[in-house]
Amino acid sequence: MKVLNKIAADFDNTINHNAILKNIRIENFEEFKKTGIPTSKEEFWKYTDPSIVNDSEFSLGIPNNFEDENFDIIIVNGKIIGNNDIDEVTNIQIGLEQKIIKVSDFNKTSNPFINLNNAFLEEGCVINFRNNTEKEIKVLNIVDNTNSQQIIHPRIVVKAGKNSNITILEEIRFLGAKKNLVNSVTSFYLEDGANVEHIIIDDFSEDTYQISNVLVKQKKDSIFSSYNYSNAKNLARKDFIVELKERGSHCDLRGVYLADKNNHIDHHTIIEHEKEHCTSNELYKGILSGKSTGVFNGRIHVHNEAQKTDAIQSNQNILLSDNAIIHTKPELEIYADDVKCTHGATVGQLDEKGIFYLRARGIKRKEAQKMMMRAYVGEVLSGIKNEETKNNLLEKIIQNIPDGEA
Amino acid sequence: MLKIQNLHASVEETSILKGINLEVNAGETHAIMGPNGSGKSTLAQVLAGHEDYEVDKGSVEYLGNDLLELDVDERACEGIFLAFQYPVELPGVNNTYFLKSALNAQRKHRGEKEIDAMDFMDIISDKIKLLNLKDSLLKRPVNEGFSGGEKKRNEIFQMAVLEPKLALLDETDSGLDIDALKIVANGVNAMKNDERATIVVTHYQRLLNYIVPDFVHVLVDGVIVKSGDKTLALELEEKGYEEVIKETKK
Repeated sequence: MKVLNKIAADFDNTINHNAILKNIRIENFEEFKKTGIPTSKEEFWKYTDPSIVNDSEFSLGIPNNFEDENFDIIIVNGKIIGNNDIDEVTNIQIGLEQKIIKVSDFNKTSNPFINLNNAFLEEGCVINFRNNTEKEIKVLNIVDNTNSQQIIHPRIVVKAGKNSNITILEEIRFLGAKKNLVNSVTSFYLEDGANVEHIIIDDFSEDTYQISNVLVKQKKDSIFSSYNYSNAKNLARKDFIVELKERGSHCDLRGVYLADKNNHIDHHTIIEHEKEHCTSNELYKGILSGKSTGVFNGRIHVHNEAQKTDAIQSNQNILLSDNAIIHTKPELEIYADDVKCTHGATVGQLDEKGIFYLRARGIKRKEAQKMMMRAYVGEVLSGIKNEETKNNLLEKIIQNIPDGEA
Repeated sequence: MLKIQNLHASVEETSILKGINLEVNAGETHAIMGPNGSGKSTLAQVLAGHEDYEVDKGSVEYLGNDLLELDVDERACEGIFLAFQYPVELPGVNNTYFLKSALNAQRKHRGEKEIDAMDFMDIISDKIKLLNLKDSLLKRPVNEGFSGGEKKRNEIFQMAVLEPKLALLDETDSGLDIDALKIVANGVNAMKNDERATIVVTHYQRLLNYIVPDFVHVLVDGVIVKSGDKTLALELEEKGYEEVIKETKK
């Protein structure tokens, strides 16, 4: 397969002599080679078949310089190009040397794409927030797909110290129009009482394939709030794996996804309730048009020690055309007896009664629909702390909502 | 202002209005009364422009133009206001933002410039007192979590802000206690002037003690069987619909 040969060549060309990284990389690449790119024959990839990229000729591009003063960290083709003098930021190599992160953070997994990301760990970014830090960091991920088909493996590791209060915003931008594959992993480690807000703005270019993994490990009384926006092109598969490892930790997973034409968007969320008194709240909303397909698979796993768990999950979908498809599936596995878990899924159209009500006051149909959409999407974003960020994101989403049949 | 001639309308092939004739002039208040299922609400919906209702026959002239040619939002912009029997809850749509958008849509239609935030707040604070509504309702999503009475008062509040030429009140009294009924009626009466006409659709005479009509029409099975002045409402209350209908048929 073309794509595997290309990846192997890139791997050989970039493997360097540094002992620690070399071992991690080789181990993960060997594991990746065993499985290759998964196909929809596997249950975990049932609705989303990444092997459609098998004939692609993706390669690692050379990172060029890039500037944008609105962002604190700029990563081009997976390599950190600039950071605005933030002393918390370093690369994986130095992060390991300074023992901010551990080799075991990059152990091989059952997910081939995480292994592949680990195999290209050369230029990942480590952001280390000390205890009690309060900070908002904006990361711009640039894909320079101007001249050739591009594959990138961005890796961000965030360490949030005790009682820190952090916002990480990740936005992606494409410089060209060539076919590209974004295989990103963002990992979070939350110490006791840390409060982390994570905002993802994924507006893809026409010819993007995306595999994304967000891995979260939470200690006592920590809070992780995720706001994840996807405007999918071709194929996007985004996984969130949150491990509530200690008592009193809480996560909010919120997402808005759009897809039109033949595009495909798949979200898999996994919340591991490992200890007692942890709570989770999930709200994902989709707007699908054309012949697009959406998938939402929400797994909640309550371990036997996790008494007093409170888990809420909701997935709502608006289908703007008769040909759009949504597969929505809650997956609850509960081993404790004193828990509260609720889940629900809806699929429908915009509320016509509401639209008539608005129109009966003089508001044109298009504007009425927009108001209803703004309300629908706004609920998901309502918890974003920074008002400006929230409003800008809401406007961006509203502008990108497909028109209907297309 | 409004001239309805031989209006026939149906919903999902079921004929509901079967030849309505009605003329309403500026400054007048008309009450449409009738038993359940007689077509009262349908008439209000058809005039407002609900697309679920099919007009099969007849004509409606409004301010000299063919009303039936206009979409619901165009009718609203031309000054027709429907106070809903069941106001719709719009989670996530802020009440103030909604009302400002509506007012500006209508101003734009009339070729006026959009109202600025300060002037708008002045209008709002003026009118909200009239309906005895809490300021906090303005910050909430439209009708969400409002009590039945608050929803109805919110309708008349919107009417007060939008200042329509023709107001259609669809069972505005249903679900109101006597105090709320008085507040709603006062709101409507405060707006009465020579330029504005009101059609009150109601099941009971009660509301008409407070909003006194110039004309009362009895609607039965899709046609107006009797018209009169405000004493007709009292007669209906006393004798009941059946008796009055019987008398008409004699």
